[in-house]
Amino acid sequence: MAETLTLRSARFRAEREADWRLLESLVTQAERRGLHRMDFAAARDLAASYRRATTSLAIAREISLDRALLDYLEALTARAYLCVYAPQERLGGLVRRFFTASAPQALRRSWAFILVGFLCMALGGLTGFLLYLENPSWYFVFLPPELAGGRSPDATTSYLRSVIYSNDPDTTGLGAFATFLFSHNTRIAIFVFGLGVFVCLPAIALTFYNGLGLGAMLALHVDRGLGWDMGGWLSIHGVTELSAICIACGGGIQMGAAILFPGDLTRREALQRAGRDAVKLALVAAVMLVVAAILEGFFRQTVQDMTTRYAIGWGIGLLWLAWAMLAGRGRA
Amino acid sequence: MRIFRRKKPRPSPDTILSPEGVPLTLKVAGVGVRVAAQLADVLLTMAGAGAILLLLDLMQLTQPHTLFAIAMMLFFLTRVPYYVITELIWNGQTLGKRLMKIKVVSHDGGTLGTHAIVLRNLLKEAEIFLPGTLLLALDAASPTLSLIAFAWVVMAFLIPLLNPYRQRLGDLLAGTHVIHLPQPVLLKDLAQEAIPVETDGTRIVFLSHQLDHYGAFELQTLEGLLRADTGRMSPTAYGNHRKTLATIIEKIRRKIGYADPVAPADHAAFLQAFYTAQRAHLEQRQLFGDRRADKHHAEADTQA
Repeated sequence: MAETLTLRSARFRAEREADWRLLESLVTQAERRGLHRMDFAAARDLAASYRRATTSLAIAREISLDRALLDYLEALTARAYLCVYAPQERLGGLVRRFFTASAPQALRRSWAFILVGFLCMALGGLTGFLLYLENPSWYFVFLPPELAGGRSPDATTSYLRSVIYSNDPDTTGLGAFATFLFSHNTRIAIFVFGLGVFVCLPAIALTFYNGLGLGAMLALHVDRGLGWDMGGWLSIHGVTELSAICIACGGGIQMGAAILFPGDLTRREALQRAGRDAVKLALVAAVMLVVAAILEGFFRQTVQDMTTRYAIGWGIGLLWLAWAMLAGRGRA
Repeated sequence: MRIFRRKKPRPSPDTILSPEGVPLTLKVAGVGVRVAAQLADVLLTMAGAGAILLLLDLMQLTQPHTLFAIAMMLFFLTRVPYYVITELIWNGQTLGKRLMKIKVVSHDGGTLGTHAIVLRNLLKEAEIFLPGTLLLALDAASPTLSLIAFAWVVMAFLIPLLNPYRQRLGDLLAGTHVIHLPQPVLLKDLAQEAIPVETDGTRIVFLSHQLDHYGAFELQTLEGLLRADTGRMSPTAYGNHRKTLATIIEKIRRKIGYADPVAPADHAAFLQAFYTAQRAHLEQRQLFGDRRADKHHAEADTQA
């Protein structure tokens, strides 16, 4: 039957078909079991065979008019391409790299934006504090009643103290953890980050507004002589939680700034570039919020002493700072 | 006359340039199949979380409000973390995407990075889930907020419809798009079959000038017809198929000036022989730099 193979494209296919079949089985294997679980020879064959198949495809497009062959090669090489260029890193390695290098590096690179975030919060706090001292009715403007939880200028000092040092046996640690996770501040953090894309303003405004409420609350307690106790109550999780909001705000501002001032890039390119660090800031904020939830759920109720509350809150704050400043130095 | 003329023809959205420099065909997945995958994901995660809660409830291991706390945490996990982790493990496929045989790929043909996966799923939260839940939670009491949320959701759905790669906002920022997974199926080579002979033993031969009429398009249409599975056809469908073959043979004979009549028993053999001869001829012309896309190739040549 030598005569049947006079077609160049038919000979081309007959010579290479076995190799393609091998590639097909390797691709199925890689897709089913994952590239990292294949043995060395199979993985090497997959890569080599994929490159031969791309060459075959390029040649076949030139010399063959066999639709079946072209379709098969297109599909096979595309499928193999997706296998060969799959990311090779394991999940554990990714998490470790994030915490030991990429996240602290991103924090250091965007320190200016984070600083702006903290400044927004602090300015808001100062404004709220001073406005309350001027006229306590501002309190109701900054803090909606369901958020204040009965703590208002009308409440008695002993009630305020009882909220700070309450030990409600009904709520378990896990319950408080979960309610925290979906609390007001988590939502604020998500919005602050997401809305940053709209030229920074919503992110800055929200953070400032959050600071206003905080300042008014603080002023109320200072007014009643409970300033230090309130500080302790707030410190234990607030240092982590409020920093998380400020960092989320920093991420949002970074994206907004990329849209406002793209420099030599197009706006989309600038946004893509700014997104690389901004997303890491958002992830750091998310991790910090989870830690704050743990602190709130398991420590705020059990630790009743004011100085211990300060020590835990600011100690953990210092740990975050040390991590952001020191981790991941000296790596590319 | 066209008023708006594009300066450069855009490359087809279905091709990706691989690092080897060979453009690969990966068909862009439409909005419908992606919504279906998303719904499948939502249903699967809800069913999974529900099953875990039911199991805990039935085993009476936990108090009711701890159970509530666990429910909240499961709800949290089925949002962004589920999508990020499954897409990381299966290289751009969640369970729903696996069901629908679609996949996220990097827009520039490189490796699909962790950053891209995290970004596109974080933005999904801002794009669809947050305004969506807002829309569900709000009522007539606050019409402006509902309107804003509604407008936002509509915009999030419009962006992929206006974009040739069907990218949503998250895809645009992350530099990804979603494709159909191609299925490689190798059919047999029609030209490799034994050269057919007529029932009386004579071979069917075509002359070179008889093969100058058709191009690749007609050849591949004929290939599709020859690959039709006659074994599975119903009697009426088979009858129609035979009639189609007869008409096509008549047309071909008239066009190329093939004088001998073809007996009905030889129809398949004739087309098979014509296919092989035509393909050999066209492939040879192509090697000499004369690509013939279809039967109008002669007019195209004179115009150029």
